[in-house]
Amino acid sequence: MTRDLAAVIIGAVVAVLAQVVIAPYIAIFSAMPNFLLAYILVVAIVRPGNGVLVGAFFLGFAFDLIGFGPLGAMALLFTLVAYGASRVFRVLNNDTLFMPLIILVASVFAVEVIYAFFLLSSGAASNLAEAFLYRSLPCALYDCVIALAFYPLGLRLFAVGDVHKEASYASPAPNATGVTVQATAPKKRRNRRMK
Amino acid sequence: MALKLQRERRPISAQVILAVLIAISLVVLVLYSREDDAGPLHSLQNAVSGLTAPVKTVGAAGGAGVEAIGEAVDNTLASDETYTQLKEQNQELREQLSMYEEYYLEAQRLEGLLNMRDAYDLETVGARVIGKSSNAWHQVITIDSGSDDGVRSGLPVMGASGLIGQTISTTANTADVRLLADQQSGVSAFIQSSRAEGIVRGSLEGMLYFEDFELDAQMAVGDVVITSGMGGGFFRGLIIGTVAKIEQAQGDTTRKVVVIPNAQSSSLEEVLVVTAMNSEGAASAVFNAQATGLTGNGGASNGAAASGEGSQEGAAVGGSAQ
Repeated sequence: MTRDLAAVIIGAVVAVLAQVVIAPYIAIFSAMPNFLLAYILVVAIVRPGNGVLVGAFFLGFAFDLIGFGPLGAMALLFTLVAYGASRVFRVLNNDTLFMPLIILVASVFAVEVIYAFFLLSSGAASNLAEAFLYRSLPCALYDCVIALAFYPLGLRLFAVGDVHKEASYASPAPNATGVTVQATAPKKRRNRRMK
Repeated sequence: MALKLQRERRPISAQVILAVLIAISLVVLVLYSREDDAGPLHSLQNAVSGLTAPVKTVGAAGGAGVEAIGEAVDNTLASDETYTQLKEQNQELREQLSMYEEYYLEAQRLEGLLNMRDAYDLETVGARVIGKSSNAWHQVITIDSGSDDGVRSGLPVMGASGLIGQTISTTANTADVRLLADQQSGVSAFIQSSRAEGIVRGSLEGMLYFEDFELDAQMAVGDVVITSGMGGGFFRGLIIGTVAKIEQAQGDTTRKVVVIPNAQSSSLEEVLVVTAMNSEGAASAVFNAQATGLTGNGGASNGAAASGEGSQEGAAVGGSAQ
């Protein structure tokens, strides 16, 4: 296991602990932060890759397990939003902080609103307008603050290379002839002797 | 020279991984929604709640400290107006207490006359609150008493001065309690004065609403709301709160009744789980009155008076039993 990967895993564990221990006591009126969502979005943007999708799934599943909502709902949403955020960032990246911040905010709002629909369908909420006004909107705003505050730290701790300049290594883009070329890191050259 | 041909392993594409994970999530979601509370997925969720209880205790200790600091700051910054209001409220409460003590003594005398058991012979298990829900959508707390202590799902939970919720799941040493303010909470209740029946429900706003009552039900601000015991979810006669506001739009026959709970769930530290009620409360008072030969209008009025007094006694005893 590489050091970078270990850092990501430790960060995920810390996020889970923060959600259990800290989040209930820093709720402002009805708004409670979702540390797991903020964490996985930041990691998906600064460290895109297949591993992030798996991490998003398990973090979402962890959120469902420690809560009382339908199991699988956040696992699905985290996976989708991590994929979407990393892909959108790869396409729209303009080497500024503006785009990742927009993606973070949009992703957070999407998750909170869609989760409200899940809860409505499961009977945990009965009124869409109330669910949006008293839970989705305030929680999304709180999540945005957490994600935006965590982004610079995530950039420093988890980024692979220069996020704002290099392409993702996970899904290589096809070139002009339609052939997919795997972008790889430069290999160390060895002096090979012909035998 | 041996040429080693390395076969490149094609990495699994992100789309394949995404599809697999989405499929797993959907399967879990569908299975969870179809099973009952005793199903494997619900049991897994319950088990995780029990496993995280020690971690939640750390948060509860820290949270209590933060709340104490906040209260100290509020007290220090309290204005003269606040102080005056508190003094007046204190005086009002003292007068009410004196009045209720009179009712209690009168009820005790009537109880002796009718050979009625204490309507609130409660068996309880004490517990500390060790955690809160880590999700903004659910108003659930975790307590440190579980099945080993006689706690099971579906039991009413009392705070210092009234009902606060119902147990929804237990482990050996912990239990989760859904608070009355939770959106999914619903308690069969009635207005103590008029006996108008309805249901007290929680909401996402955190307010309690008295709903599903008859259009001609009589009620007023200040009326006490207690559990009716209908549906078997809660024992009869447990105090919930008082009517705080009645809203009725012009031209609309429906009313919106807001109930202020007696027990505030925001600052809970200890609770009582009611495991049994050895009397059926007001219902048994009427039965006993009839059994002792007090029939007709006098008997009925005595029974009704006894049930009313018993309920009030129960409200006082329910509050003092904490």
